[in-house]
Amino acid sequence: MTTGRSLRIGEALLGGGLFALGALIAVETMLTPSAGRGVVGPALFPYLIAAGLMLVALSLLREAFAGHIAHDAGLELDLRAVVLVAAGLAAQFLLIEYLGWIPSAALLFVAVARAFGNRRYLLNAVFGLVLAGGTFAVFNYGLDLNLPIGTVGEWFLPAE
Amino acid sequence: MDTLAALGHGFLVALTPYNLLWSAIGVTVGTAVGVLPGIGPALTVALLLPVTYHLEPTSAFIMFAGIYYGAMYGGSTTSILLNAPGESGSIVTAIDGHAMAKQGRGAQALATAAIGSFIAGTIATAALTFVAPLMVKMALLFGPAEYFALMVLALTTVTAVLGNSLARGLGSLFLGLALGLVGIDMQTGQARLAFGVPELLDGIDTVVVAVGLFAVGETLYVASRFRFEREEVYALKGSKWMSREDWSRSWKPWLRGTLLGFPIGALPAGGSEIPTFLSYLVEKRLAKKPEEFGHGAIEAVAGPEAANNASAAGVLAPLLSLGLPTSATAAIMLAAFQQYGLQPGPTLFDSNPELVWGMIASLYVGNVLLLLLNLPLVGMWVKLLVIPRPWLYAGILVFSTLGAYTLNNNVVDLVILWVIGLVGFGMRVLNVPVAPCVVGLILGPLAEQQFRRALAISQGDATVFITHPISAALLAIAVLLVVGPLVMRRRSRTAASDHAGKTSAV
Repeated sequence: MTTGRSLRIGEALLGGGLFALGALIAVETMLTPSAGRGVVGPALFPYLIAAGLMLVALSLLREAFAGHIAHDAGLELDLRAVVLVAAGLAAQFLLIEYLGWIPSAALLFVAVARAFGNRRYLLNAVFGLVLAGGTFAVFNYGLDLNLPIGTVGEWFLPAE
Repeated sequence: MDTLAALGHGFLVALTPYNLLWSAIGVTVGTAVGVLPGIGPALTVALLLPVTYHLEPTSAFIMFAGIYYGAMYGGSTTSILLNAPGESGSIVTAIDGHAMAKQGRGAQALATAAIGSFIAGTIATAALTFVAPLMVKMALLFGPAEYFALMVLALTTVTAVLGNSLARGLGSLFLGLALGLVGIDMQTGQARLAFGVPELLDGIDTVVVAVGLFAVGETLYVASRFRFEREEVYALKGSKWMSREDWSRSWKPWLRGTLLGFPIGALPAGGSEIPTFLSYLVEKRLAKKPEEFGHGAIEAVAGPEAANNASAAGVLAPLLSLGLPTSATAAIMLAAFQQYGLQPGPTLFDSNPELVWGMIASLYVGNVLLLLLNLPLVGMWVKLLVIPRPWLYAGILVFSTLGAYTLNNNVVDLVILWVIGLVGFGMRVLNVPVAPCVVGLILGPLAEQQFRRALAISQGDATVFITHPISAALLAIAVLLVVGPLVMRRRSRTAASDHAGKTSAV
């Protein structure tokens, strides 16, 4: 459930986030020793973009407090589903090098399907494994791209 | 005459059985993925990028051209039958197209869209054939200052034109520009904003950002709204063919849509949104029964769909001849060129004529293939619309992570994808347009390069941008585009408050 009030907080977060990003770029550029030999060094554009970010951020913050927000009527959001999808993606990038592409992608498949209300875990796991296995086969053997087999997977490979 | 000879040579390249095969695969896959709800042309091209890695560039770009056009056709099917436009160019089509589908005239809406797209695509591709070499000639007159001004104009139009809040568009644009700073500075070799992470030295990949915003962000948003929304697919029933009346009401809108679509697409004016919208307004003005508009008028599908496809060809003109992307899809195509170490622009026409003309010729071929694919086989594509949403979105994310990982074979890209996806979700909730971010990311570094080159040539004299007439004119237009609407809004607001003041005084 998201009401107009928390959307306003989101709006303020947008402005605040962009402002922080601008400040970060400005500070980081200031701290980097410049290697500029040309007429315009590598620091000019970062400063310009940082300034642009901060100006836009201030204008967005002003809009947020003046009451111009995106969805006047409020917008209902199922945040549990969002967390579930985000967790599935995070699990994948944490696990992909250990478990390899196939199990980590299948896990992502199950997590996203659950976020969309499908609870048939076993069926989805099978689907995910087939999809991940199929892409693994096509990409590694057909297209010469390397999807990781994972450190766990390597145990099962014949020793070289 | 040179142009025709070059085009003829392009056809020889495009019609070899090998390249014809890639073109056919491209249009088929492009249509199939483009039909899937939630996937527009930009994401289709980004997701299918890894499939082309092992091809040699000419075949890869022939396949890409097919994917690009195929995604445009597929996108109209989704907006007509599902009312779920995958990109801004199909929004207008969805209004009357979906109304027609509700009345059981979905097949006619799809037919007028497909035939209109074919006619518009073919005429616009012919226009592209002749306009691109002219643009190349013009580009040879351009120095770094003019290029910089042109890029500023393109960035401004993409930002000012899309969405209803300038501040939001600019926020998105500057986010993209900031992401573009990451990595090694091209001229001095100095690392910028890499924070000691070696994988960041190569910069943040446009494809990762595009997939993060369009696929991950969109999936998160759809997941968050899934419990609260219902969608309906309308089955195709009755006659599949257009009646005589349908034809006579369609052909003029097709041609007018083409006339609007190509030039506006070719200008740095933000791709397909404006021409489709203008086409809708023009058709409504000229229609015999304007009251039908909004309730299933066939003209309102025929015109905008033609405009949409014509602008898709138009967008390729500045992309190929100037290296200037004017839409999110074009930005990803430019990233694909860079992946192969190619920089579109005048030199590409000299150094890789086979590739450029082969690609242009394959657009003609692809259009014919697409008409064959989409008219008789439309029933097959419609089946893709009923894939259960849990599996559809789970599959989209599996392919998104696949694409991001295989770019450089490292996990850092997956982490970036995750972060950008969450940012994209936030942007989606707060109605911040994402296209300016993608275009800013790829154009920012190019604009900086031209800016610094211009100043190096002028030995630090910053007035080059306003003393060169072309550059000055382009920059002036850019400023007008930002300031003009602001001034007009302020004037109308003061007028409104004056009015309110008077009435309250009375």
